[in-house]
Amino acid sequence: MLFVQLLLGGVQNGALYALTAAGFALIFGATKVFHVAHGSAFTLAGYVFLYGWTHNWNSLLSCLAAVLVAVAFGVGMERLVYRPIQRHEGSFFTVFVAAFGVSIVVQNLVGVFAGRGFASIDTPLSNASEVLPELFLADVFWVAILVALVMFVALTLFLSRTNAGVALRALAQNPDLLRAYGLSSSRLSMLAFALGSALVAPAAILSAMTTGLNEAVGNHVMLLSMASTIVGGVGSLRGAALAGLLLGVAESVVLVFLETQWASAASFLVLFGFILFKPSGMFGAAVAK
Amino acid sequence: MIAYFSNLATLVAIFGILAVTLNFMVGFAGIFSVAHAVFFGLGAYAGAQIALTVTPNPFLACAVAAGIAGVLSLCLALPALRVRGEYFVAASLGLQMVALTLFSEVKSLTGGIGGLTNIPRPQVFDVEVGVLPLALLALGVLLWAIHAMANGSFGRTLKAIRDAESAAEALGKPVAVAKALAVAFACAGAGVAGALFALHMSFVNVESFTLDQSVLVMAMVIVGGTGTLFGPLVGAVLLLSLPSALSFLTFIPPTEVGSVQQIIYGLAMTLLMVFRPAGLLGDQNKGKSHA
Amino acid sequence: MLEFSRRALLGTALAAPFARGAAAQEGPYILGSVFPQSGPNAEYGGVFTAGVQLALQHIEADKLLKRPIRYISEDSQALPQQGVIAMTKLVNIDKAHWTFAAFTAVSKAVAPIGDRAKTVMINGGAVGPDLSGLSPYFWNVIPLAHLETRALLPYLVGQGKKRFALVYVDDPLGDAILKELGEQLPKVGAELVGSFSIPRDAQQFGPVAARVRQVRPDAVYIASFGAQQSQIIKGLRNNGVSQQLCSYSAMNLASVGSLPEAEGMTFTVQKVDYAGGDALTRRFAEDFRRAHGKEPTVYNANYYNGCRLFGLLAHELEKTNTAVTGDSLKDTLHRLKKFPLVGGTGEFDAAGNMMAAIEVVQWKGGQLVKLA
Repeated sequence: MLFVQLLLGGVQNGALYALTAAGFALIFGATKVFHVAHGSAFTLAGYVFLYGWTHNWNSLLSCLAAVLVAVAFGVGMERLVYRPIQRHEGSFFTVFVAAFGVSIVVQNLVGVFAGRGFASIDTPLSNASEVLPELFLADVFWVAILVALVMFVALTLFLSRTNAGVALRALAQNPDLLRAYGLSSSRLSMLAFALGSALVAPAAILSAMTTGLNEAVGNHVMLLSMASTIVGGVGSLRGAALAGLLLGVAESVVLVFLETQWASAASFLVLFGFILFKPSGMFGAAVAK
Repeated sequence: MIAYFSNLATLVAIFGILAVTLNFMVGFAGIFSVAHAVFFGLGAYAGAQIALTVTPNPFLACAVAAGIAGVLSLCLALPALRVRGEYFVAASLGLQMVALTLFSEVKSLTGGIGGLTNIPRPQVFDVEVGVLPLALLALGVLLWAIHAMANGSFGRTLKAIRDAESAAEALGKPVAVAKALAVAFACAGAGVAGALFALHMSFVNVESFTLDQSVLVMAMVIVGGTGTLFGPLVGAVLLLSLPSALSFLTFIPPTEVGSVQQIIYGLAMTLLMVFRPAGLLGDQNKGKSHA
Repeated sequence: MLEFSRRALLGTALAAPFARGAAAQEGPYILGSVFPQSGPNAEYGGVFTAGVQLALQHIEADKLLKRPIRYISEDSQALPQQGVIAMTKLVNIDKAHWTFAAFTAVSKAVAPIGDRAKTVMINGGAVGPDLSGLSPYFWNVIPLAHLETRALLPYLVGQGKKRFALVYVDDPLGDAILKELGEQLPKVGAELVGSFSIPRDAQQFGPVAARVRQVRPDAVYIASFGAQQSQIIKGLRNNGVSQQLCSYSAMNLASVGSLPEAEGMTFTVQKVDYAGGDALTRRFAEDFRRAHGKEPTVYNANYYNGCRLFGLLAHELEKTNTAVTGDSLKDTLHRLKKFPLVGGTGEFDAAGNMMAAIEVVQWKGGQLVKLA
């Protein structure tokens, strides 16, 4: 039963990782920007929702505000940081350092204005009850899975059925071709950032209810999203999402065999192993050296 | 006052070693590691253990630290041979995270979060010596070695690999060996810095070897200018004196000083990358740096 | 989960020595503290500092000392490395006469520095049992955890709790509690059925809760501190751990008491009677309420005592025109042994530990209720 419990717990976290990872993969795939500040969008969205909740806003309004802030942050990063750097043809590493700087700023601003340390939302949703002997599940488990599924179906439909979505996928494959067809790659990058960042909001809101937030929570999100994108195979949204789920499950199930303090190393060992032995990831094309 | 400046100078020299060795990997070999603090840590633990259990001789501590860090640099060299760019950054992040858990958990060697305390002061032939001259000596030797290598055939091989790996391979350059050697040299240097750090602080624990520390060293390199000899040193001086400069702003409430420092540090990183992507001493007109 | 505090810059230790300069023999007394003023444990720093500051006000108002006191607050973030940097600065640059430390990991890291410089260090917050006898200059004005568990465990065993699980933070405090429970539980007829170590910045406790449930404990002991305590309590309660929760005095934080999941959390604190106590205790409590608009906690009282102790010892030395140094302070402590402090007469043993009575309390509806 312990295994099932840990597996289901892992699935709940993994569903959230899958969302943030898909956001990261969407941005990286379409724009080739290694968006290290992705976790900051998560932090901001979570804290905005928290603010709305503690000020008794309508919960729909709080969710909407969270999504909007995440999107605004993503688009702002694209406009104000990534694009100017890419205009200089700066290396990807320049982008990495710049984004890391932003995530430090966001973390500390949140600390100053929202207070440091643990903050969470008190809701019966996250309170587990015994559904089977020895098996505890909270309602938020179903909410997380449902939200993740709905978001993926919506995203897949958008990417395959709308012009903008198809263009976005084309941007990932061949930006020059896109330009030849007269499509604006600049508008499409903004769209990629907006969509990718919006994907973190539901995960941030659910995390505020379950594990709670702190100002540094985005770091873990960023690292896991990045790891999932690579383990899943760059360029594959489905791969990233599945890898996110896998890493969430790995983090949890590893406790069947190991002591609790080793949990956080598990996902990074998986990442390290993939890079050494299968750098193309689960679904990616072969990687050029 | 003198104590204050000699402390600051020692830290600058130690972080200077970290920055110039990382710069050797980044600027000359194109290997963007964000796991430099791991090797700093390995060196620090090795040096501390030597000083605690064998002898407080700093040269032995540094030699053992360099050896251990150099050998274990294979963990970094392996992914460096397999992948480049973002993939390698991700691999080094993974290494950093796993190493951090190991540092926290292998308590018999590292003391975990509690750390190793009461590390004796360095002594050469029973005479106590300061860490500052040792660190300056090590920094000088490393700078000289990097300068010599950069202008020698090894440096040219590395630059060829950095700029066009397949071409270098086609020309028969020993790509794998050159890369592994570059990584081993840089990591051994970080190990020396670690041993000196342990002797200077008389205390080490896992907090000094986090991802933040790796990023700090990386920021020193990038802020100063990658691929330049003295840029990383400028970066180290700037980033280490930032806190003391900020403490003149007395209107900041004491509980917020840490945050304000971090905000300025983060902003500086971002703005520099946006407006001076090649770093302070780097050649801004060189255009694309190759990664 | 990850060690990720973003304090890579070596922080306050490199900050502004300029306005200060070394203390001349006839300058002010220098008192310094190494408390967390930022990071997830900053709440404690505020509480500790308030105690020190109130004592400073009282010393000045009473004209207890001839020379003025300058108080320097350094930020440890409750992390050993930052603590070492801060302590090095206080000892070597500010030439502090008297320092305050807190947190087990930080105290153990800074003790060798104070010991080498013969500077007195006062701990009124950390409870790791191995803090006793760390250095002749390291004194505890708080009962250490082994005294706390020896009060708590018999009470809980008396309530029918036989099987204990321990969730402990992976640092010297956690290790010390693990050792203590392993030794003490069998002596009172109970057993430690499982122990679960968590990194200091862990956030996900669902999997830990599953492991805890599996060992079927009667009670779960939480050995952590600061913001993480609340997260552990919520994580365990939300994931089906409905058993009795218990802990030590670190749970005595307003942010824990206000957490709905903390209802029924049972732990130990020092006994201090603010209303019925002596004049000194009442004055402390009244002035504290006036300044902060709330009841003082034991931590406020401990650091008040730690600071007042300096006033009393230095006063003695001034009477005989003896220089105030670590050694003269130490000798005076061992000569007098007993001091009028908040909570009654404080008596120190040979290792520099102050003895104190302990009581078992519980969070109920956000209020601290006395059980035994």
